[in-house]
This record gives sequence, structure tokens and C-alpha cells, in this order.
Amino acid sequence: MKTLFTILFLSLTAFTFAQTKITGTVTDNKGEPIPFANVILVDTYDGTSSDAEGRFTFTTTETGSQVLAVKFVGFNDFLQPLVLDGKPVTVDAKLQEQVNELSAVTITAGSFMASDESRRTIFRAVDIASTAGATADIAGALNTLPGTQKVGETGRLFVRGGDSNEARTFIDGMVVLDAYSPSAPNTPSRGRFLPFMFKGTSFSTGGYSSEYGQALSSALVLDSRDKAEATRTDIGILSVGGDIAHTQAWNRGSVAGKIQYTNIRPYFGLINQEIDWDVPPVSLEGVGAFRHDIGKQGMVKVYGNFTHTDYSLYNHTIDDYNVKYHYDLSNDYRYINGFYKDVLSDTWSIRGGVSYTYQRNETNVADINDIVETDKGIHVKTVFEGSLSDKIEVKTGLEVINHDYAQAFDEVSDPDFTLAFNEVITASFVEADLYASNRFVTRVGARAEYNTLMDQASIDPRLSLAYKTGEHGQVSFAYGKFRQTANNQYAKINNDLDPEKAEHFILNYQRVEDNRTFRIETYYKRYSDLVKYTDGDPLELNNDGTGYAKGIELFWRDNRSVRNLDYWVSYSFLDTERDYLDFPSAHTPAFASAHNFSLVTKYFVEKLKSQAGFTYSYTSGRPYNNPNEDKFNNGKTPYYSDLSFNVAYLPKPYLIFYFSCTNLLGRDNVFGYEYSRQLNDAGQYNSRAIRQPAPRFVFLGIFITLSKNKSINQLPTL
Amino acid sequence: MKTLSLYSLITLMMIAFAEKGLAADKYVEAMQKNIQTVYTSDSIPVLQQAVNAFERIGAAEKTKWEPYYYASFGYVMMSDNEKDAAKKDGYLDQAMTALNKAKEIVPNESEVVAMEGFIYMMQLAVDPASRGQRYSGLALQSFGKAVTLNPENPRALGLLAQMQFGMAQFFGSPTTEACATNAKAKEKFDAFKSENPLAPQWGKGMVEKMIEKCN
Repeated sequence: MKTLFTILFLSLTAFTFAQTKITGTVTDNKGEPIPFANVILVDTYDGTSSDAEGRFTFTTTETGSQVLAVKFVGFNDFLQPLVLDGKPVTVDAKLQEQVNELSAVTITAGSFMASDESRRTIFRAVDIASTAGATADIAGALNTLPGTQKVGETGRLFVRGGDSNEARTFIDGMVVLDAYSPSAPNTPSRGRFLPFMFKGTSFSTGGYSSEYGQALSSALVLDSRDKAEATRTDIGILSVGGDIAHTQAWNRGSVAGKIQYTNIRPYFGLINQEIDWDVPPVSLEGVGAFRHDIGKQGMVKVYGNFTHTDYSLYNHTIDDYNVKYHYDLSNDYRYINGFYKDVLSDTWSIRGGVSYTYQRNETNVADINDIVETDKGIHVKTVFEGSLSDKIEVKTGLEVINHDYAQAFDEVSDPDFTLAFNEVITASFVEADLYASNRFVTRVGARAEYNTLMDQASIDPRLSLAYKTGEHGQVSFAYGKFRQTANNQYAKINNDLDPEKAEHFILNYQRVEDNRTFRIETYYKRYSDLVKYTDGDPLELNNDGTGYAKGIELFWRDNRSVRNLDYWVSYSFLDTERDYLDFPSAHTPAFASAHNFSLVTKYFVEKLKSQAGFTYSYTSGRPYNNPNEDKFNNGKTPYYSDLSFNVAYLPKPYLIFYFSCTNLLGRDNVFGYEYSRQLNDAGQYNSRAIRQPAPRFVFLGIFITLSKNKSINQLPTL
Repeated sequence: MKTLSLYSLITLMMIAFAEKGLAADKYVEAMQKNIQTVYTSDSIPVLQQAVNAFERIGAAEKTKWEPYYYASFGYVMMSDNEKDAAKKDGYLDQAMTALNKAKEIVPNESEVVAMEGFIYMMQLAVDPASRGQRYSGLALQSFGKAVTLNPENPRALGLLAQMQFGMAQFFGSPTTEACATNAKAKEKFDAFKSENPLAPQWGKGMVEKMIEKCN
């Protein structure tokens, strides 16, 4: 009896006093010591941290088979089985660097990412709303970034010598057709989607992912906001109308709706306009958004936009101002987007969606010719993303786009004359990111498409590389082949046209250090199969057009040097020529300008509770064709420049007064010239300058937000 | 034989009890030593070592939320002592990762939810201009939830008061509401009692400092 107790007691004490000393070092795969790594004897309290030289020592009373783990953020866990029997043990832990999102190199060639959540972006979603001169228009703000050429009379995005149709918009990965609101001839249009709806923007000026097709020059990918956090009502009283929005949030979801009424009539009554309006634009817009969580990490988003716009005006002829034609436009637009994402396993996720665009545009010229244009698009897409290992990430997907376009003329002479086309594009894409280390990544991808319109299958390769040159700098390169069906106005005439093609080569260096960013990028773009008129006949189209664009771009952003001041400077140089449409040979097109410069400043005045900003933009002269001269596109407009100002004043957390004004200096910018089709008595064609509709655009708004916690306001949406 | 087995059973039970008591003491003791460190140290390496210790304890004690709670607190303190914005964010990310482990064990612990709000508040402070709107909403939501879960939690109220005070200052509005919340937090601090020897104790200084500002 006593013996048993003694044995028990003795063995217990034996356990207590058998100590093993474990020593070692922690290094990375280059042999550099890792200080303060966590050294753990698994499932016990025993362990320690490595010291400043990566060394560690500790003792344990555990015995038998154990596992020693060494952990440090950014490295894979190191595990080693040990047998502890009182004899000292030495472990040299060599930790393998983890390829992870936070420290790995990213591909930046051609790409401007904006996100409020990710910290490594150099442009934020909120920047779009708060850029002076952009008037809260996405294209307006992106026009202050390198790679864009300002074309003031359109308000659209023109990227690197491409025309505005070559830049496509995607919302949550889904195609958007007709992304701009209608505007009077030669007046800037606005994007249909307001910046506040998006939490992130990826603006690519070339070399983009194989996920995005049918875009020759640029992909603008907008990520809509997730579930709203709080229930709120927003009221906006604007100098050009008003809006009211309500958001209802609950634990797992939110629903939001907004109605906006825009009537520019009173404003035009006050400020003289170049345009002879009969009925200035009036539009009614409804927006709805629904978000709901699914399971642990899944989410469904539905977004819809319905707009109706009307206006009419008088077009005066170039030869005689007293001769005028009535021009009447009525536009209906619907866009619905459903998006779904979920997690399939630890390493794989799925996302997908459906989008539907419908536009009906009815124009009536001189009360005789009625033209009804309908554009419909359905897009269905599924994408799988995952990792094959911690160094290989894969994205692959399948999509179908059905695009239906028709233009019906109801003319007195020829009733029911219609030009139309229908295409179904089936595409699949695959892309792999191969990480050699955190410093070097290669992205290879390809996009296969089959288009029913010209009954053609194709494969377009993409390749990008990025290498981190140091802690803050990196170099990247991108190559890609892109194709896009000829623009509606040509495809409707000739359904057999080949897609237009472009090849991009981009080299980029970027350095980001503590709120200062420097970026330089150079590129070469080669166009082929552009639409061209056969013997100058616009009804006989072929694919013999060619072209190129090359240039160099600089970007600098700094929000550190001066307290409360954030500014960026961008400069783009462009050299481009193309031989397409009616061009007799290769020439620089009218939308291309050689030099574009922007300076955007934002300053927060703490004492006045205000944020004020100035934007200065400069665009060098653009070519135009003067039929009175022998040489084609030989004219050159004066340079364009604009200085805009905006200020937001917050007297109360939930109340904002907002004021903005474009072209403070009142410069009379000329965008080009229009010519009469008839010779005048002197044997010349009369001309008329294309000017701004008014020297300035002044906007005043009061924004009120009602919510349970009174600190929420609309500042991020302005 | 019968006596033998009864005797050995009692012995074994005694040993088992002793072991259990010993284990519980060992846990509290190991924790307390490191809790003192995260409360008092302003050295990143020292804080990292304490955080490492919490993570070791947390890995061994799979049902206890306190190790991850304090690991998270330690990371927040590391972020507070760091100047570089990217590194601050890195520490706050790790704070959130650690806190999520605590949350898995006790999803409705008021202290854990209040800490979540604290992390959001610190993330906001790294870049108020662009994160203000979103993170102030997230922080307020967490503090509100923490107060609902336990109206006696002085830290939830104290942090809420900090947030309200900061926003009132930013917008130049009166700090009445913030000061009222803070006064309530002070009351709860004075009355705070917990049976848990490892219950969080921090935050009283922050509340007392604000009382001075409020007077």
C-alpha cells in the first residue's frame, strides 16, 4: 500500500523536475535573423520569443514527443517534432516567407486602383467625389489622371489615343452599355453612375486582365458598396433640382432607394447659354440597391437604375443663324445588375452575376425625321478564384454577352427603314498569378471568344510582370491583345465587320512611400482592323484601318509635406496617328491632344470646418479638319485650360453646404470647328467654333442627413 | 482489495484535483504577469514578447478568450507606439485577427465587442480623411453593441465617450453628449467588480482625463 503511494509520489516529482533546455535561432531563407518570433512548445505554456538577434532559449518540464512551432507574421509556421528527455535540444528554424496580399508585389502597369478599404491604393474612391471641376462625375475625376486626354465637348473618357467607345465600364464585373447620359450636341455628358455608389474603382489604361473583353483602350471597373451599416435618410437641395434617398439597414442586409429630379431650366434662365434651348433637360432618375449576406461570407447585391430624360433645342445653320431646326430628344434608360459571391472552400471562391441594359433614344429632327434607337444588352458571368498553392493564384470564368442594337427611321420618304445587328459573344478566360517570391510575380492569361455576328473564334493572350526593386519601389510590365466589335454606328451598316484590335505594351515604375507616390509609365499601342470607308463612302465599310499610339506619363501625389493639404500632379504626352474612317492617310485624330496636365489640390481648413479644392487642367491644341485647306486635319485649336474651385462647409455633422464653380478665369475654350457643307459666294466653307455652352458652371447644394447617430453626413458622396 | 482500490481512487482524485487547481492557478498566474506588461509597457519589442506569450497560452487553452483579448490589446498598444502608417495598420490587422479568435469563443462578450470598436477607432485615426465616415460608423456600432450586451461595462462607455468627443471636436459641436457618456463611464468604473481575476481593468485613466477636459 505504502509502496504504491511512494511510487506514485516519486514518479510525480520525477515528472516535475525533469527539465529540458531548448535553444536555437530563427532566420529567414536568406539567413537574416528574425527577432521577436513566437517560439511555442505546442499545447503547453512553454516557449519564448526570439531576441533581437533571432536567438532563443527556454526550459520545459514536458517530456516525451512534443512539437516545437515557430511563428512570425508574414512567414509560414515552422514545425519540428522533438523528443524531450532532459538532454539539451538545439533547433535552427528557417522560416519560409509567405506570399501574402499585404507584402507581395502587385501589378501596377496601366492600372489605377482606388479603394477606401485597401490601404495600398494611390487613389481613393472619395477622391472622385471631392475633385474640383469633376462635378462629382467619375469620368471628370479620372480625367485628372495620367493616360487620359481631355475632350471638353464630350465629357467622356478618352484613353491613350483611343476614342471614347474604346473605354468600357463594368459594375461588379458586369458590362454596362451606354454608360453616359444623353447631352445636347457638342456639350459634355455625365456618367450615369454616381461615385458615391462605389467603394472602389479600378481604372485601367491598358494591359488589363483577361476577365475584361470588348474594350480596346480602357476598362473602368467599379465595385459597388456592400451592405449599408446604418439606417439613414439623405436630402439634397440643389441649384439644379433635388434628391431624396433612404437607406434601411438591418443585421444581415440593407435596402436603399433614391429619387433624383434634375431640372436645369431655372439655372439656364439665370445664366446665358450658347445653346438655344426650347425645353432644357429635365430628368427623373430612380436608383435602388439591395444587399444581403448569405451564409458566413456570401453576399447578394441587386442594383437598378431607371432614368428618363427629355429636352429640345434649336440648331442654327452655320451659314445663316436665322435658319434653324428643331431637335427633340427623349431618352429612357434602365440598368439592372445582380451580383453574387460566396466562398466554396478555404482556398476557392465564386462570384457571378447578371446585368441587363436597355436604352431607348428617340430623336426628332425638324419635326419630320423620327429616329428611334434601341440598345439592349444581357450579360451573364461566373468566375472562380482560388489558389493552387500559396504561390499560384488562379482566376477562371465563363461569360455570355447578348447585344441587340436597332435604329429605326420613320422618314416621310422611306418609312420603316431599320439598321440593326445582334451579336452573342461567348467567352472564357483564365489567368494565373505565379509568385516566385513576394518580390516577383508573373501573370499569364488568355481570353477565348466566339462571336456569332461575324462567326469568328479568337484567343487573345495577356501577360504582366511585376518586380519589387526595394521596400517602396517596383517595376511592372504588361502586354495584351484586345478586340472590340466595331462601334454601333458602323456594325449596324455592315454586320460582317471584323472586330477592331489593339495590342498594348506598357512599362511602369512606381514608388510609394509614406503618403507620397511617384509614377512613370510609358507605352506603345498598335491598332489594326480599324473600320475604314471604302473609297470615302461611309456606307461601304472595311477593316483596313490601322494606327498607333505611344506616350509617356507622370504622376506625383503628396499628402504629407503640408499639413491638411493633399495634391496630385499628372502629365501625359501622347503621339498618335491612325488611318481609319474617312482619313486619306495616317493622321492624328481630332480627339487626341499631345500634352495633358492636371494639378488637383484639396485643403482642409480645420477652423472653418471646410474642405476646399482647386483643380487646374491644361490640354494642348487638338487638330481639326478645315475643308478650305488641302491638307487633311491640318488645323489646330488653341490650348484648353480650366481652373475650377469647390468648397464643402460642415456647420453641423449632418449638414453640408457645397459650392463649386468651373472655369473661374472665364477662359473662352474652343474645342474645334464645324464647317458648312456648302460653299459660300467666296468659294469657301463657312465655319463655326465649338465652344463651352457657358463660360462657367456654378453649382450650389445643401445636403442633410437624418440618422440615429447624428454624425453621419453626405461628405463622402459629394 | 476493496480498501486498496478505494484508497488509490481517493489518491488519484486528490492528485487530479491538485492538478486542476494547479492548472487554473498556472493559467491565471501566466496571464497576470503578461497583462501587467501590456498595460504598462511602451516598448514594441517588450509588447511583442507579451503578445507572443498570450498567443502561446491561447493555443494551449482552447476555451479561454482572455489570451486572445490581451494579445489583441497588446497589438493595439504596439500600433499606438509605432509612427509609420503602414506598420500601424499591420499591427491593427493582427489585433483584429487575434480578437476574432476570442470572438469565436465568446461571440457575445461585451469586452470583446468593445475591443473591436477600439480597433476600428485606431484604424480611423491612421487616415481620418478617407476612413472617417466608414470607420466612425463601425466603431460606434461596436460600442453600442458592447453597451447593450453589458450596460455595466465601463470600457464600452468610456470608448464611446472618446469617439463622441472626437467627433464633436471635429465638427465643432458641443461636447455635452460625450461628457455625459463619460460621466456614466466613470460611475461604472467606480462600481466595476468582476469575479474573473483576469477581467480587463484598463481605461479608467482615459475617462478621468476626459472629465478634466469636460469641466
